[in-house]
Amino acid sequence: MSEKHNSAGDVKTTGHVWDDDLEDFTNQPPRWWMLGLTASALWVVVYWTMYPGIPVALAGTHFKGLGLPGLSLHLPGTDPKDDGKWSAIKELAQDQAVLDEVRGPYEAKLKTMTPAAILADAQLSEYVARSGKVLFADNCAACHGQNGVGTRQTGAKFAQREQGLMAPILLDDDWLYGGTIDTIHETISGGRQGMMVAHKDTLSVQQIDDVAKYVKAMSEEGGKEKADADPAVAAGMKVFAESDCTACHGADAKGMAAMGSANLTDKVWRFDGSLEGIKQTITYGVNSGDPSSRVAIMPNFVAAGKLSPVEIKKLAVYVFKFGGGKVDAPAAPAVAEGPAAAPAATN
Amino acid sequence: MSDHDQIYSTKLQDKIERSTLLMFVLTAITVAIGGIVEIVPLFYLPNTAMCQNDPTCNGTTHKDLQGNAIPMDKIIWNPATSIHKTLDDWQPGDGVRPYKPLELAGRYVFIREGCFLCHSQMIRPFRDEKDRYGHYSIAEESMYDHTYQWGSKRTGPDIARVGGKYSDEWHRKHLKYPRDVVPESVMPNFFFLENAPVDAVKLTKTMKVMTQMPFNPVPKTIYTDAVIAGAAKEVEGKTEMDSVIAFLQSLGNHVKFEEGVNYRD
Amino acid sequence: MEATNATPVKYDMDVVRWFTIMAVIYAVVGTFIGVYVASELAWPFLNFDIPEITFGRLRPLHTNAVIFAFGGCVLMATGYYIVQRTCATKLWSNSLAWFTFIGWNLIIVSAVIALPLGLSQGKEYAELPWWCDIMIAIVWVSYGFNYFMTVGIRKTSHIYVSNFFTGGMIVMITYLHVVNSLAIPVDWATSYSIYSGVQDAMIQWWWGHNAVGFYLTGGFLGIMYYFIPKQAQRPIFSYRLSVLHFWTLSFGYVWLGAHHLQYTALPDWTGSLGAAISLAMIIPSWGGAMNGMMTLSGAWDKLRTDYILRFLVTAMAFYAMSTFDGPVMAIKSVNSLSHYTDWTVGHVHAGALGWMAMISFGALYHMVKKLWNTEMYSEKLVNIHFWVALIGATTYVVAMWVSGIMQGLMWRDYDEFGTLSYTFVESVSAMHPYYVMRAVGGAIFNLGTWIMLYNVVMTVRQANAVRGVNAVAAKA
Ligand code: HEC
Ligand code: HEC
Ligand code: HEC
Ligand code: HEM
Ligand code: HEM
Ligand SMILES: [Ca+2]
Ligand SMILES: [Ca+2]
Ligand SMILES: [Cu+2]
Repeated sequence: MSEKHNSAGDVKTTGHVWDDDLEDFTNQPPRWWMLGLTASALWVVVYWTMYPGIPVALAGTHFKGLGLPGLSLHLPGTDPKDDGKWSAIKELAQDQAVLDEVRGPYEAKLKTMTPAAILADAQLSEYVARSGKVLFADNCAACHGQNGVGTRQTGAKFAQREQGLMAPILLDDDWLYGGTIDTIHETISGGRQGMMVAHKDTLSVQQIDDVAKYVKAMSEEGGKEKADADPAVAAGMKVFAESDCTACHGADAKGMAAMGSANLTDKVWRFDGSLEGIKQTITYGVNSGDPSSRVAIMPNFVAAGKLSPVEIKKLAVYVFKFGGGKVDAPAAPAVAEGPAAAPAATN
Repeated sequence: MSDHDQIYSTKLQDKIERSTLLMFVLTAITVAIGGIVEIVPLFYLPNTAMCQNDPTCNGTTHKDLQGNAIPMDKIIWNPATSIHKTLDDWQPGDGVRPYKPLELAGRYVFIREGCFLCHSQMIRPFRDEKDRYGHYSIAEESMYDHTYQWGSKRTGPDIARVGGKYSDEWHRKHLKYPRDVVPESVMPNFFFLENAPVDAVKLTKTMKVMTQMPFNPVPKTIYTDAVIAGAAKEVEGKTEMDSVIAFLQSLGNHVKFEEGVNYRD
Repeated sequence: MEATNATPVKYDMDVVRWFTIMAVIYAVVGTFIGVYVASELAWPFLNFDIPEITFGRLRPLHTNAVIFAFGGCVLMATGYYIVQRTCATKLWSNSLAWFTFIGWNLIIVSAVIALPLGLSQGKEYAELPWWCDIMIAIVWVSYGFNYFMTVGIRKTSHIYVSNFFTGGMIVMITYLHVVNSLAIPVDWATSYSIYSGVQDAMIQWWWGHNAVGFYLTGGFLGIMYYFIPKQAQRPIFSYRLSVLHFWTLSFGYVWLGAHHLQYTALPDWTGSLGAAISLAMIIPSWGGAMNGMMTLSGAWDKLRTDYILRFLVTAMAFYAMSTFDGPVMAIKSVNSLSHYTDWTVGHVHAGALGWMAMISFGALYHMVKKLWNTEMYSEKLVNIHFWVALIGATTYVVAMWVSGIMQGLMWRDYDEFGTLSYTFVESVSAMHPYYVMRAVGGAIFNLGTWIMLYNVVMTVRQANAVRGVNAVAAKA
């Protein structure tokens, strides 16, 4: 236990000993440390006087600090005498100004242009594509999925879940409301709430069964032939033509953009595309007010005060540019299936 | 044990080291100072939203761009001066109000489930937060938040202004199974809230407690006896899920902010 | 049962032994829950749709388990150990010490039940329900009273520096706990803070930071000032530095809470008070770190053979690192980036794993040897534990620093058109690899605690066996 004193040279301990062998050397703290400590104390005092740091009330406000030499921070339209005094809000105003300078020229043009015109302008539509990304992700992706791929119910507690897409896929060429830049703009401005009545009171269980089989057959390879082969499908075809279906989905069952009714002849299913799922849709309807109805509400972001007219335009162009937008004429190549998140067989 | 040695610090320090009581007392004083200086003025300086029985909140004045004072009842809802007199009539933009019964029940669930560990409710005055979340938060907006919920971590996004951003239906789907709507999400599934009814007894007691707070209580003119008595009825048949959604939808649209005005001063 | 060597004093060491054992157990449990919580963020299915183990309920269990169960038992074990030995006296009251042992563990059991049930007050690290708060206050004050009374009846002329720090911690935590816990109960499970908004936020972080500053740091500095010189068998490098370290830290740390609320609705002046002193705290903190490290000067070679010393010295390095990291994060402009991100979590665990846990491991091994008057069952396992802990902690901290800075940069990034470059969700998915890395690092660290538990259990069994043999021999 004696070696503890050996290598310390001539430094003494304080002479106190605790617990047999606990001692302190009388070394001085290093010089740099003492200087650092003094400097720290000074730093604190200087900082507190320059920045708002002293909690005393002065007429209606508190001490704002002396300000920092060379710092130029002020709120637009405020007292320039205030210049140089730091506050978090002034810092914001300054940063915001930098941003506004970049965005200003674009934003000014967007204010007056129509979505179609924006789309036609290469540079502006690029600007919009960029600024639309976060807007879309923060407001729309929730229902329509990242980049409009759609969001589908998947996961553990399968039985407890409603099946089908939360909202239509936006990057395919299948549109409830037509898919031109103007109808897209209209959708986002005003929201949508496509309505299909419930048929549980107007059609018998048998009829619903038949028409569902017919609807399913229409979307399948060789569906037409099935109508001849399968009496149920043939009966369904009759129900479809004779009850109110054609009023909304059209005689060709390809849907009507004016009311947002779905195309029933393609493979894109908004809701559950299984026979059971289709029966459910037909029986209880969509936004029909029936407790078991499918729900399909596209919120009105303008009414909710969430999006400005310019932001809506941005989104319209952004959505259109996913690639599925329709240039008025029916053109556009067919995309048979949506991407990964698109309809998957559910039973 | 050696005693009466040379002193290598100061006489005072040596004295302290010899006396348990002195050590105790001086330590107790030293460690009290910083807290007192930082905390006590928050109860009497302006701009700290300490508003009890004082419509000026310790003399807080926000000034619009012309330099005119914005009346405090534009910031904090005051049923006496507002055209909307009751919690049910209150409209977004009327000013900061206490929670409605169902929302308060939702806030309890929010705390219980530890949502604040992933979601902040405090938007800082930065341009990116403005773009992402909206106007920066102000002190008055959390003045009725007994047990503040500003949070310290954003594993999920800030939700100070999430109210009205999504539909109730979306929230229900999202809260039940977040990855159904946001595949990348790391938020736990909260589907079990759907099966639990709101605890009306707890809610009624909570409302009473909120009116009894020593600092910034909910005014009895807002949580009137009738409102408190009616709370149980109001949440009848509601689930905890309904209540959390009501809480989320109530966040962030109380004050109508003007562009460019400094609301922190 | 009385301890050690030629010391004439008989100490009350049974209660210390029990606190020591519990500390080792809680180290395993607390970090295990940490690993689970980390894994939930990496693989959310691990929430298993069981309310009691969802992230939001388990995270408080983790923080409370490591801070109050593990940290608390280490502080009480070392506190009672150090105060007796440096005051050359038994405890003022051995029964009161046993009361704190039972009380503290009851509180921990309550926490293990209450937190998964969702009984939370909604304040970080102060989540426990109001009746737990009352229990904590009673037990803590008993601990403090016993502690100061024991110092009062000491046989030495001067109070040893470790006791300054522990005493400071006791006083400050009492203030903090009482003021921050004031709440009105609604029923047995729920209560709400009497403060709201800005005032509540400031009081919470006055508590929060000083739980860090006095409990996770001050108390553990008390440990450092005893166990480093003991283990190295060298006098402390500088007495004056110890004194300055203590007073500057005690005065300064108290102000720092406001750095948790930079740019929030807390008035600018309060943030400035916190920011300025935070930066200034580098110097006192590094003074302390240096005092610990320099105590080894002239004995560095011991690190090659003394694994316990490795823990203690590595802890000082992490202490220096996290007290550099912290002040940097407190600078307003840095905080604007780091706040709300994983950087904070990285900083926390540099302090918690690197500093607080490492110094605890060193102290616990030292005490186990002394308390059971034996050598460790396996020195080699101590060494393995050291390396495992170091690798685990480093992996964790590096992962979080990278992910935190990345998060901060993604959130604020603008492209050339002046629009945000990334969505929030993109930042969430970008974190995945780092969350995995953190979980792995944490698991490695946790493995080390299992090794320690095994080693300590074997050591105690061995010691008891020897004692049994001796007893038989003595009888014969
Ligand atoms: C709450 C969920 C929800 C959110 C959020 C949402 N939508 Fe929708 N959206 C829907 C639903 C449901 C429909 C289908 C409405 C219908 O069937 O009438 C829809 C329809 C659309 C359509 C028409 C698709 C078509 O096939 O014609 C467009 C375009 C659209 N949304 C764009 C957006 C944009 C842009 C945003 C963000 C500003 C957005 N949506 C946000 C649910 C949502
Ligand atoms: C009042 C108008 C209306 C009537 C009548 C109507 N539908 Fe619809 N139907 C709609 C609308 C609108 C939608 C699309 C809702 C959406 O996607 O948001 C729809 C959707 C559907 C779907 C779901 C398509 C998918 O992709 O999942 C099926 C199946 C369907 N209708 C079948 C029928 C049948 C069969 C009948 C007659 C028995 C019928 N509908 C009558 C308006 C109507
Ligand atoms: C493990 C961390 C975690 C917990 C706990 C958590 N969330 Fe989330 N939350 C997230 C993440 C990550 C996101 C972003 C991805 C998404 O939208 O799911 C999110 C998104 C959200 C959103 C959408 C916000 C927006 O603006 O897009 C809401 C609302 C929300 N959470 C509410 C809650 C509520 C209420 C609770 C408690 C019952 C909760 N969260 C608990 C991680 C969490
Ligand atoms: C195996 C070791 C550990 C692992 C894997 C681990 C993991 C975690 C995780 C995942 C979180 C949540 C972070 C978040 O919300 O993003 C956390 C928080 C925390 N942990 Fe640990 N932990 C470990 C050990 C410890 C120890 C020993 C302490 C000692 C005090 C500690 C103290 C904390 C604290 C204080 C927080 C809260 C941090 C904050 O709010 O910013 N942890 N830990
Ligand atoms: C001088 C020393 C230190 C300073 C100035 C400091 C500063 C900071 C800062 C600025 C934050 C981030 C606050 C935020 O943005 O939310 C923070 C968080 C934190 N620090 Fe430190 N730190 C120091 C030392 C330590 C040490 C040694 C430890 C651990 C033992 C520690 C534990 C923590 C914890 C647990 C948090 C997380 C708080 C939360 O839940 O948000 N700190 N610290
Ligand atoms: Ca935190
Ligand atoms: Ca508590
Ligand atoms: Cu801190």
